[in-house]
Amino acid sequence: MSPGVDRGVTGRQPQAVRSALAVLEEVARAGAGVNAKEVAEALGLPPATTYRLLNLLVGEEYLVRLPDLHGFALGAKVAGLVGAIAPARVPTAARHELGRLRGQVRAGVHLVLYAGTTLRCVDVDPDLPLGSPELLEGHLHASAAGHLLLAEQPDWREAVHHPGRLVALTEATPVRPADVEACMAQVRGRGWAGQAGQLHEGVGCLAVPVRGDAGRLVAGVAVASARGVVPVDYLDAARACATALAPLLD
Amino acid sequence: MTQRATLGGLPARSPVEGLRRRKLSFAEVLAQSVSALAPSAAIVVVPPIVMVRAGSATLPVLLAATCLIVLVGWCLTQFARRMAAVGGLYSYTAKGLGPGGALLAGWALVVGYVAVAVAALVGCVVYLASLTGVQTSGWVLAVMVVALGALATLTTVRGIQLSARVALALEVASVLIVVAVLTVLVLRAPGGTGTGAAVVDGPVTIGGVAIGVVLAVAGFMGFESSATLGVEARRPLVAVPRAVLWTPVVVGVLFLLAGLAQVLLLRSAPVEVLMSDVPVALLADGEGLGVLSRTLDAGIAASFFACVTGSTNALSRVLFSMAREGVLPAGLGRTHPRFHTPVVALAAVLPVVVGVPAVALASGVRGRDVLVGSLTVSALGYVLAYLLACAAMPLFLSRIGELTTPALLGGATAAGLAAAVLSLALAGVSWSGSGAMTLVFALAWLPGPLLWAVLRRRAPDRLAQVGVYDQPTAGSVLPGQVTRR
Repeated sequence: MSPGVDRGVTGRQPQAVRSALAVLEEVARAGAGVNAKEVAEALGLPPATTYRLLNLLVGEEYLVRLPDLHGFALGAKVAGLVGAIAPARVPTAARHELGRLRGQVRAGVHLVLYAGTTLRCVDVDPDLPLGSPELLEGHLHASAAGHLLLAEQPDWREAVHHPGRLVALTEATPVRPADVEACMAQVRGRGWAGQAGQLHEGVGCLAVPVRGDAGRLVAGVAVASARGVVPVDYLDAARACATALAPLLD
Repeated sequence: MTQRATLGGLPARSPVEGLRRRKLSFAEVLAQSVSALAPSAAIVVVPPIVMVRAGSATLPVLLAATCLIVLVGWCLTQFARRMAAVGGLYSYTAKGLGPGGALLAGWALVVGYVAVAVAALVGCVVYLASLTGVQTSGWVLAVMVVALGALATLTTVRGIQLSARVALALEVASVLIVVAVLTVLVLRAPGGTGTGAAVVDGPVTIGGVAIGVVLAVAGFMGFESSATLGVEARRPLVAVPRAVLWTPVVVGVLFLLAGLAQVLLLRSAPVEVLMSDVPVALLADGEGLGVLSRTLDAGIAASFFACVTGSTNALSRVLFSMAREGVLPAGLGRTHPRFHTPVVALAAVLPVVVGVPAVALASGVRGRDVLVGSLTVSALGYVLAYLLACAAMPLFLSRIGELTTPALLGGATAAGLAAAVLSLALAGVSWSGSGAMTLVFALAWLPGPLLWAVLRRRAPDRLAQVGVYDQPTAGSVLPGQVTRR
């Protein structure tokens, strides 16, 4: 994957790529816990080839070897391939919770869902809408909701596009790895994220995590204010909302 | 939405949590293996002592040892591709031979790492002393051991990233120096034959060849140590097997080249040079290359220091694993809040690593004797651990239903050859009159089997924990996927 001589896709490589994708599909079809022999039999591939492909896919983290060491499951990284999470259905009860929070604060309240290393804005405040949902979804390093997701990763570099060349949307956007690292440390330390002016000049935002089963990050409640500072006054209200949302969204 | 994931068995946190996760690049993982192996020290020190035993079979012997170690490395990659371990060979063996085999192998590995760290510390001090020309009284050496030990402690506690980078830089520099010195010497060699030829082209005996292979295998010890970085490496299931396989391949090539150069050089040299402690340095001095020989000393001292930090890093992580399983006191599994290193395990081992050589040197034992003695002990430990891990590999693969014929043959061959090397080493050690070292090894290794026996009676539940590794957590699988059955 390092830039080097381009030798193209030659010889038996096309077949290897096809087989690797078939292995991935077979694990998805058979379900978590399928073992190497079963995959080989289902696909009619030679066992040794199947074991190698499985190990390669596990190495790249598209598959996960379960703790019994013989079962396989799809890795969290697969969510990144899916891109748009199928038309996100936010339960009505959850929309009511968001409406309640919107009634309490004088700022925009938005709901984002996380899957793997992607973020989707699924419920945007109709009265005080987001400047640009695409910008928020595409630049995880520049928003409070994005920081929540990055802070959750073992290595944030694998969750952003071109970690060496982060886009500076404003003067305040953290683009150097050390600055992003500092943001992550802060988020992990206090359990919520806040930023001012990193995405849009003059807009401050905070995001609190919605955690499901086993502490998994499933969604985030973002509160954005045009006053240019992190709206910390609304932290407690946002937290209460996130707690109420947890059983509805997981 | 009826078949939501019930991967509920997955824990929210990894059992080996606390180390700095997924931070080390491939170069840094490689650095761990390379520094614990200390190639520049090995390729200068080992070929002449192999020559003395193996005579004209020196190069084939070096090649055979390289092949054996590459085979062992290949066996280890079968584990390394499948589990991200912190205990290295100890955790691997557990998955094939169970807790008993794991404790036998694990404690042998612990003895190996401690002894090689002791040897490297003494080696570093001896070469530094010869570099600076300090009159080497035992006390001065002992004080230097303590000072360097303290420096090594700081480096290892501060974090593996720093120590790995320092070690790799030192190692690359010293290998370049060694290669430069040997190249200059070969180019300026007068040719012809000296009294050394009698040894270099000496008769080949089965016993001599066997001991030669044992000594050459000892030159590779430590190549497997990146297997302890399963948590700390980025993409561990790719980086660790690569480091474990390619380190012996590349070092093996260096070994053969350095061996060839030394065969050419020592054939035309007086036999006294060949039999000395530092043949290459003497050759350089003889050529009027005093500066080069001083640089060589500095390079080898640096290489030895890197080996101290490398072995200590690996050692502390094996003990950390044992502590997390409950085999050793839980305190040893604590990590530093800021540096995320197994600081308690490090603090526990360094007094031993520093104390043993300091006391030995201060009481007047020669540096070279401490070096050779501790290397002998460590060789026994490593080879025993290699043997058990290779034997465990086919069993592990068969248990998870992924055994192939090459893996079965490879594992059996590697284990068989390692067993042969181990018995030869034991026999060789007693022939050469240093049977005391076998006894030292046996005593140092005894806690392993004892621990197993005691735990089996008192706390079988803890024994069942043996083999923890960086398991997948609820966050590492795709949420919401269908589960089987």
